[in-house]
Amino acid sequence: MNWIKNAFGFIGRYFSLLVVAGVFVWSAASIALYRSQEAGENEIVIRLGHWQLEASVREGIDEMAKEYSELHARLHPGAPKITIKQDAIPEGTYGQWVGTQLMGGTAPDILQVGAQLPDNIWLSYYNRYFQPISRYAQAPNPYNATNELAQVPLRQTFKDGMKTAYVTEMQEYMSFPLSLFGVRIFYNKNLLKQLTGLDEAPLDYREFLAACEKIKSQVNPANGQAYIPIAGSAYHFAHWDSMMFSPVTYGCIRRGDLNRDAFVGNDETYVAFKTGALDFHYPPLACWLKMVREVTDEFQTGYTGLGRDEAVFLFAQQRAVFMTTGTWDARSLQEQAKGQFEVGIMDFPLPSADDPVYGKVVEGRIYESPGAGFRFAVTRSSQHFEEALDFLMFLSGKEGNEKLNKIIGWIPAIKGTEIDPLLKAFDPHLEGIYGAVSFTLGGNTSITWGQQYDLYKVNQVSFEDFAKNFTEYYIKNGRKDFIEQQKDWRRGMQRNEQYLAGIRARAILSDKAYRESADEGERERLAQERESAWVRYRAITYARQLWNEINHARDMKRIEQTELPEGWVGPYEYSDKVIARIRERLEKEAGAEVAPPPTPEEADEAVAGPAPGEESAPATEKPAKKAKKSSKKKAKKAAEAVEAPAEEPAE
Amino acid sequence: MKFFRAFLPLLLAAAILSGCGSSDSAASGGTVADRIDAAWQNYRLNEWSLALRDFESAIADTEPGGEDWAMCQYGIATTWAQRRPGEDPKKAREMYQELLAKAPRSAMAPWTELALARMIHLVPVGQDPDYPEVRKLYKAIEDKYPGHLAAKEAFMYRMSTLIASLEDGLMNEAAAELEKFVQGESQEFVGSSYSLLSVVYNMTGQQEKRLWAEENAFDKTEVDPADPSVEFAWAYWNLACISEFELGDFARARKYYNELMEKYPSDIRIHGCKSALKRMDDIEERIREDIRLGRPTARPETEKADADKPEA
Repeated sequence: MNWIKNAFGFIGRYFSLLVVAGVFVWSAASIALYRSQEAGENEIVIRLGHWQLEASVREGIDEMAKEYSELHARLHPGAPKITIKQDAIPEGTYGQWVGTQLMGGTAPDILQVGAQLPDNIWLSYYNRYFQPISRYAQAPNPYNATNELAQVPLRQTFKDGMKTAYVTEMQEYMSFPLSLFGVRIFYNKNLLKQLTGLDEAPLDYREFLAACEKIKSQVNPANGQAYIPIAGSAYHFAHWDSMMFSPVTYGCIRRGDLNRDAFVGNDETYVAFKTGALDFHYPPLACWLKMVREVTDEFQTGYTGLGRDEAVFLFAQQRAVFMTTGTWDARSLQEQAKGQFEVGIMDFPLPSADDPVYGKVVEGRIYESPGAGFRFAVTRSSQHFEEALDFLMFLSGKEGNEKLNKIIGWIPAIKGTEIDPLLKAFDPHLEGIYGAVSFTLGGNTSITWGQQYDLYKVNQVSFEDFAKNFTEYYIKNGRKDFIEQQKDWRRGMQRNEQYLAGIRARAILSDKAYRESADEGERERLAQERESAWVRYRAITYARQLWNEINHARDMKRIEQTELPEGWVGPYEYSDKVIARIRERLEKEAGAEVAPPPTPEEADEAVAGPAPGEESAPATEKPAKKAKKSSKKKAKKAAEAVEAPAEEPAE
Repeated sequence: MKFFRAFLPLLLAAAILSGCGSSDSAASGGTVADRIDAAWQNYRLNEWSLALRDFESAIADTEPGGEDWAMCQYGIATTWAQRRPGEDPKKAREMYQELLAKAPRSAMAPWTELALARMIHLVPVGQDPDYPEVRKLYKAIEDKYPGHLAAKEAFMYRMSTLIASLEDGLMNEAAAELEKFVQGESQEFVGSSYSLLSVVYNMTGQQEKRLWAEENAFDKTEVDPADPSVEFAWAYWNLACISEFELGDFARARKYYNELMEKYPSDIRIHGCKSALKRMDDIEERIREDIRLGRPTARPETEKADADKPEA
């Protein structure tokens, strides 16, 4: 019995050490066993890692892998059998897992890329651990050989032109994006009918709010509490904000887009506020905030403190009628609702053109850019690059991509593919409006914005107080935060310089290869390569290094502006000089007697009010005039807009 | 304790062994050219140590002062100048200077001089470069290597510093030089020069000339055909806006708005284009009515967004 006692004593003394040793042995054995099981004789195993735990995704990949394996066996008899195995890793740990696998040289052949880690980390990973696929992106996909895309280069077979796969910093295509995504409102059709009598969810904003009110007024017999019109959370608010609320600010470009590039940058927003060109009473901003309040009043109480799952729970339990989510949840929500209720998908409601509040401000639906996600890249450590690449080509072929997405319930990324009828509502709006202001100057300004906006969302602060509190802080402290943010521009130039040196060397070496080649045919190819390398070098030099200094100087000049210059007109308004010019042309065209252009006084008179018997100016003009007066600047004798410099686009 | 002493080395050995794996750390073999290629490839992958290893392995097999030597020397110096972290600008500068001393006529000499000038120009964050000195260095490269791409690049940098001063005198000086440059025989950086010219014309209120420069810049822009992010929707928009708001040239504005819609039907600015076309129709209609009634035309100060303030 002594030995038992000794054994317990030993375990007690070295318990922690034994645990560590045990875990180590177990890990080593697991890895060894996993690897040994991977490939049989005359078999190639391609491993694929991703973070999509949805059952339909795993099912889709398995199904396509099986199909690919069979196809490969048919097309290449005698070649090793190909087996695809997937590692589905939870989102929360995917970033760390990828890093560990890549650095340890044990990464799967194919990895899902582009999220779960910051962009700069992905960039360094692409650089070191992934194979560029540019060469293949320029050639047709062999899996399209029998369809209308047979002669089309791979990149042009994608609905988004493979934009999301291109890494500008590397000038290389790195991944295959396999699906498109979108966000819409899902609703419980049965509950909607039961509570409002409606068969379909209303797309008109006012009717939607009325339906919400009706829902809210009824008690759920299951728990004795009122039904919740919209299941919300911090996660879901972001959907509503980006898809429905922010686009209301589009009209701000008419006051704040000082460089007329169709956007209002954070510096422009700041200057527009500082000079009085914009304030929160400007209709697009006031309407935006009004809409935020109106819609979030239909969320359940305390939604800002809740996470995604809690809202989904309310929806699945039939306690809430509406909930936003994306294509990624479409299939699983349907599965959850099966046998209980029917899921409908609707677009975000829109105010009608004659809406008394929003009609003149909301100009249309949000613009949605067709950017593809669910991207996969081949790792450098893969022993089977050709096979891994071929599998991704198969998934990017028209038929393969359609089938994969049909199984998963997502939108295919390839042109000419059929969309699942359930997802028709996700068709992107390729024409529309978009959010046009940015209050994020960085530092404390951004923090204050977040705090004030949060308070406003939950009705803890009134519109007037929100507008006053934030504007005061913003105008007083924004400059400091902007200057701090601007320090990055020189750092950016240094990064560009590092990058350009590599591109330049490639061009110089291609010059050398061309000079030294004796083969005529080869020389032709090398001449093209050389030309392309230098064009690329000059294009990047121009886009990245020449403009930074000039744009920075102009930004700094603009940010110091404290008032609107004399004769200022909005960026999308005509100056008196331009009006006179148009009139002169029209008079000539009409063959009318050329009258002298109106004097500024005449112009002012005309704006102040029509002469008796004349037609009234459109009613919409009056508030703007008031707004201008409130900025204490009389827009007289405008020769030209003082600030209307179009700048080169940022990289 | 006896067990612990016996077990610890075992654990350590296991831990060390588990960290061992295959790596590509073996020096690249092959010709000097192969090693230079591999070195630049490593440079582009930010594998600084591997790049240095390959450059140094290649330079050992070259004749000092020769073209290959100069390329290796340039590569090593550039790696020391650009690597982050671990940069050594002093060492880089000395190596560049050694290159110029030993291979003053090599193909890498102009690029080396440009690299030295760039080191003076790109000062650390928080500092300002000595612009007159930087311009002098760029000008020296232009004079020493006329027609060489490095000289043209130096010229472009010099122009950008003149324009970034936002001082009328310096901007006009740049305009004069750029106007001469675009009339010259150079095929490179011509589009960029027109683009810089348009900035000067805009800042100095010469809108007709600005449009002319922008149109030329657009015509002569060099494009990397492989880059899917290259698109010209922005350029069409810019040309249309200048035509519409600065010159009142609606025919040209319509042409550019329409071209944008035709060539980039899913661009974010499509709604803006349609609004612009309607805006121009409306103002023309209104002015025609004014002409018909013989009354002056007032500037419409407002847009749709200036609707009645909602009760918020």
